[in-house]
Amino acid sequence: MNFLRRFFSRPTALLGFVVFAAIVVIALAAPLIFARGPFVIVGMPLLPPGAPSLPAGSDVLGRNMMVGLAYGARVSLLVGICATLCAAGMGVLLGSVAGYYGGLVDDLLMRVTEFFQIIPAFVLLMVLVAFLQPSLESAVIGIALISWPQVARVVRGEFLSLRSREFVEAARTLGMRDAAIIFTQILPNALPPIVVISSMMVGNAILAESALSFLGLGDPNLLSWGSMIEGARSAMWVAWWTTVLPGLSIMITVLALNLIGDGLNDALNPRRGR
Amino acid sequence: MKLRYIAMRLVKTVLVAIAVVLLSFFLIRLAPGDVATVMAGQAGYADEAYMKSLRAEYGLDQPMPVQLWKYVDQVAHGDLGLSYVRSQPVLTIIMERLPNTLLLDAFALVIAAVGGIWLGGTAARRPGSAVDNLTTVLAMLFYSVPQFWLGMMMMLVFAVWLNWLPPFGIETMGADYTGLARLGDVGLHILLPGMTLAFYFMASYARLTRTAMIEVAEQDFVKTARAKGISERQVARRHILRNALIPLITYAGLQASILVGGNVLVENVFSWPGVGTLAYEAVSSRDNPLLLGIFIVTAILVSLFNLITDIAYSIVDPRVELGQ
Amino acid sequence: MPLLSLQNLTIALPPHADRPLAAEDVSLEVGRNQIVCIVGESGSGKSLTAHAIMGLLPRGVTAAGGKIVFDGVDLLKQSADAMRKRRGRDIAMIFQDPMAALNPVVAIGKQVTEQIRAHRAISQTEALNQAGELLGQMGLKNVGELLKAYPHQLSGGQRQRVMIAMALSLSPKLLIADEPTTALDVTTQAQILKLIKRIQAERDMSVLFITHDFGVVADMADSVAVMRYGKIVESGTTKEVLGSPAHDYTRALLAAVPKGEKYLPPSADTKALVQVSGLTKRFRRGGLFSRASVVTAVDQVSLTLCRGETLGVVGESGSGKSTLARCVIRLLDPDAGEVLLDGADIAHMKPGELRPLRRRIQMVFQDPFSSLNPRQTVGDIVTAGPRILGEDAGQARARATETLQLVGLKPECMDRFPHEFSGGQRQRIGLARALMLKPDVLIADEPVSALDVTVQAQVLKLLDDVRRQMNLAMLFITHDMRVAAEVCHRVMVMRHGKVVEEGPTRDIFARPSSDYTKALLAAIPGRQSL
Repeated sequence: MNFLRRFFSRPTALLGFVVFAAIVVIALAAPLIFARGPFVIVGMPLLPPGAPSLPAGSDVLGRNMMVGLAYGARVSLLVGICATLCAAGMGVLLGSVAGYYGGLVDDLLMRVTEFFQIIPAFVLLMVLVAFLQPSLESAVIGIALISWPQVARVVRGEFLSLRSREFVEAARTLGMRDAAIIFTQILPNALPPIVVISSMMVGNAILAESALSFLGLGDPNLLSWGSMIEGARSAMWVAWWTTVLPGLSIMITVLALNLIGDGLNDALNPRRGR
Repeated sequence: MKLRYIAMRLVKTVLVAIAVVLLSFFLIRLAPGDVATVMAGQAGYADEAYMKSLRAEYGLDQPMPVQLWKYVDQVAHGDLGLSYVRSQPVLTIIMERLPNTLLLDAFALVIAAVGGIWLGGTAARRPGSAVDNLTTVLAMLFYSVPQFWLGMMMMLVFAVWLNWLPPFGIETMGADYTGLARLGDVGLHILLPGMTLAFYFMASYARLTRTAMIEVAEQDFVKTARAKGISERQVARRHILRNALIPLITYAGLQASILVGGNVLVENVFSWPGVGTLAYEAVSSRDNPLLLGIFIVTAILVSLFNLITDIAYSIVDPRVELGQ
Repeated sequence: MPLLSLQNLTIALPPHADRPLAAEDVSLEVGRNQIVCIVGESGSGKSLTAHAIMGLLPRGVTAAGGKIVFDGVDLLKQSADAMRKRRGRDIAMIFQDPMAALNPVVAIGKQVTEQIRAHRAISQTEALNQAGELLGQMGLKNVGELLKAYPHQLSGGQRQRVMIAMALSLSPKLLIADEPTTALDVTTQAQILKLIKRIQAERDMSVLFITHDFGVVADMADSVAVMRYGKIVESGTTKEVLGSPAHDYTRALLAAVPKGEKYLPPSADTKALVQVSGLTKRFRRGGLFSRASVVTAVDQVSLTLCRGETLGVVGESGSGKSTLARCVIRLLDPDAGEVLLDGADIAHMKPGELRPLRRRIQMVFQDPFSSLNPRQTVGDIVTAGPRILGEDAGQARARATETLQLVGLKPECMDRFPHEFSGGQRQRIGLARALMLKPDVLIADEPVSALDVTVQAQVLKLLDDVRRQMNLAMLFITHDMRVAAEVCHRVMVMRHGKVVEEGPTRDIFARPSSDYTKALLAAIPGRQSL
C-alpha cells in the first residue's frame, strides 16, 4: 500500500512507531514478567538504579521502580486509547451530522463546542473526575468529555467543505441517500485529518491522565506514572530517579505518538512532490 | 455597525455566564457528598445531627430550585457568595488571586509568542534544512512533556542544583520588599513557572508560524512582490509575515481558556498563589461557591478575551467583517 | 539587435517531477516594440520559460543551460542583487490570477507605491500621486478611493488593471504577461487585451505574451512561437504560422479552436421533453445578527428542451447559468417556477417521489479533478448509479465495460483510481457515469472549460456523438460562445440571472438583437482573423 510505504519512509515516523510498539509490548507483558504487581516492597527505599535486581532503583516505599514503570504504562495506554476512541466516536458522529446538514443542528453543535472552549478544560476535568469519584473509568469519561469538541470541530469543517464538492453532488444526482453519501462518499475522504488528530489526542489524553494522578485524582488502586511522580515529590531532591524516570516515560510515550501523528499527516496528505 | 456588534458580543458573554452558572450548579450539586461530609470528615465527627445542622447552616437542605434561584439572584447583584471553607466572600478571594495568575499568563504568553514566532520563522526560511529539522524536533519535544514534570525538573536544575532562582511562591516570604526591589523579587520568582508554561505554547507557535509562513510563501502575491524588485527582507516582512500572522491571532485567542484557570498544574508545582491552586483547593474541599465563582469569572474573562482577539483579527485582515 | 534573446535555454525540474526538463533548448527572439506570443497547452513549459526570464523560478527549478540575453546582457550570469534591480524597472511581469497576485491585507495604493519606491528615491506622497495618475491611464475611475481600497473590494478586471499599472510604473522595456486574461470574463478579457495593445503602442514597449488561446494570438501578436513538452515546435510571424502552419501540432492546435462555424439547425422534433417556466432562485446571505442581503441568482427563467437537441446556456460568471442547471436537476431547490419533465413537475416533488425520476436527468460536471471520488475505483464510480437502482453488480459491471468503450476508454481502467487519469479522461469517466443510467436529459455544466484545447475538441465531439446516438436532450452550460456555436442547436444568453436573448445558434450569431450579446460576440478573441 502506497500510504504505508510513505509513512515508514520517514525516519521520525518509523522511530515513533517502533518506540510506541515497544511500550505496548511492555505494557502487555507486565503482568507476565512482574507477576507480583507494582505494590510489593522489595527492599530498602530510595536505592539508586544500577543494581541488577533494581535496574531503575526503588521508590520512597522501597518498591521496584522498573515494575512500577511497566504497570504505569498499562494505565496510561488504557486511558489514552479508550478516552480517544470515545472522544473520536462522539466527535465524528456529531461533527458529521452538523457539517452535512448544517442549519439548526450545526448551530447547536457550535454553541456546545464554544461552551467547552470557554470553560477551563482542566478544571472541568477535575470537577468531573471528583464528582464521578476518581477511578480509571471516570478518568476515561472525563478526558473523553473534554476532548470530543476538538474532533467534532475538525470533522464538521471537513464535512462542510466536502459536502459541496462535485463528486458529492454527483452522488446526489444518482439518487444516493444521505446516509450512503455520508458513509461511502464523504467519510473516507474526511478520514485523514480524523486519523491525525486522533493519534495526537492519545498523547494528550496520556498527559491529562498523568496530570490527574499527579493531583491525586487518579485511580487510587492503580499505580500510574503520574502518581509515581506525586508520591516522590518529597524525595525529589535526593533521589532524582524517582521523579525523572516516570516523567521521561510519559514524555517518550507522548513523543512517540506525536511523531506517529506527524508521519501520518505527511503520508495521508502528500502535498509536496505531486 | 462595529459598536452594535461589540454590544451584542457583550450580551452574549452574559448569556454564556448564565449558562455556565446553570450547568455548573447542577454538575456540582450532583456530586456525591457535599461540604458537610467533607467538614465532618475533617472534624472527626460523623453524627447525623451535626451534619444536619451544618447543612442547614449552608442552606443545603433547601430544595434544588430554591437554591438555584437564590444563587442566581445573588450573582446578579455581584455577590458570588461566601466560601464554605474560608468564610470569606468568594469574589474577594478570587480577586486576590486573579492578578497573580494573569501576571504569570501574560509573561508566559509573551515569551511563547515571541520565542515561538522567531523559531518558526527561522525554520520556515529554509524548509528541509538542518535548522528546520532541529526546530521541528524541539517543538515536538516541548509538546510531549508533561507540564508539571517539566516544572519539577526546571526547579531541580535551576533552584536546587544551580541555586540561581527561587523555587516557590511569588515573593520571598517575610522579606517585605517594596517598589523596584519588589518588582525584581517577583521577577525572579516568575521566571521558572513562566518559562515552564511558555515552553508548551512556544512549541505550538513555532509549528503554526512555520506552516503559515511556508504556505504563504507559495502564494502568487509573494511572486508579484519579488517581480516588483523589492528587497528580500521587505518581501519577508511586509508580505509573508503580515499574512502569516493572521492564523496566529486565532490561536492566541484559543489559548485564553487554557491559561485562565487552566494552569492548575504549574501553579501547584511552584506554589504560585493564583486561581489555579484555588481551583484545586475548591475541588478537593467541595467548596462549591468558590468553584462556581471561579467558573463564572473565568468564563467572563475568556469571552472578553475572545472578543478582543476577534477585533484584532478584523483589524489585521481587512477581508474580515465583524459579525460574520 | 533584438531586445530579448533566449538562446538554447534549458530549464531543469527537481528530481521528483514527472519529467526532467521543463524547457529544452528553447530559442526565441523578442524585438524592440514587438508583441511576441508563446502559445502552448498545459505542461508545455511556456510559463516556466517566462518565469526564468524574470529570475523567478520556483524552489528546485533551475536554468540548466543556455543564455537569456536582455539588452546585450546575459541575465543568467547576473548576481541576485543585480537581477533584483532589473525586476520591475527594466522587465516587468503580470500574472494570471489577479486576486491571488495582490497582497490581500495591504491597500492598493501602498502596493503600487512599493514598486515605485523600490527603484526611485521619492516620498510616499509623490509616489502616490504617480500611482494615481497611472491608475487613471489604465482606465480606472474613482482613483482616490481605489488607492485606499483592498484587493477583495475590486472586480477581476479592476485588479488586473492595477497589476498592469504596477508593472508599467517604471516604464520597463519588456512586459511579460503570463496568461493575464485566462481568469477573467470574456468581455473583461477583451478590454484588457485592448489595453495592453494600446499601452504597448504608446510606450514603445515590447510584450512577451504567454497564452493557450490562438484567438488571442491572432488578435495581438506580431510573431508567435508554439511550445510543446518543453520544446519550440514552430515559430515565425503570426501571418506565417496561422496562415500556413508547418508543424503537425500547430495544425492540430489551430484545428481544435472552436470556430463557431457549425451552426447546427434546430431539431425537427418540437415536442418538449423538458419545460422550465418562471424558475427563480434566491440566496440569502447573513445570519441572525447582521443585515441579510438577498441575491437573485436566477430570475424568472423559462426554457424548453426537445429530444436530440442541444440548448446552450451562455453567460459570464455571476449570470446564474450554473445555478439554473442545478435547479433543473434538483441539486438546489428553486424558490419559484416549475420544471416539467414529460409533464411531471420535478421542482417541487418530495425526495421520495423524485428519486425514481433521477435517472432520467444526469449531469456532467466542470472540474475533472473534483467530480470523481478520489477514493473509489472507476468501476465503483461508474456502477454506483445502477446499483442504487437495484441492478445486479455483475450486470452493472458488464454494462460499464460497454459504456466506457463508448466514451473511448479501455475496460482495464475500471480497477484504477481517478488520479491515474488525465483531465480529459476523467471527464469521459464522468460522462460514462451519467450515461450508465440511460438518461433522457443530459446537463453538461462547463464540461470542457478546464481542459486543454486539443482535448476540448475531442470531448466536445464525443458529447455531440453521444447525444446523437442516444437521442438525448442536452443542456450545455458554457461561458465560451465559440464552444456554444460548435455543439448547440439553440443558444440562450443569460446575464444577472435573466435571459437576455434566445434562439437558433445561427440567428444569434449572425443577427444578435441585444447589446449584451453583441458585446459578447465582439469580445471573442480572434474572431476576425481566424
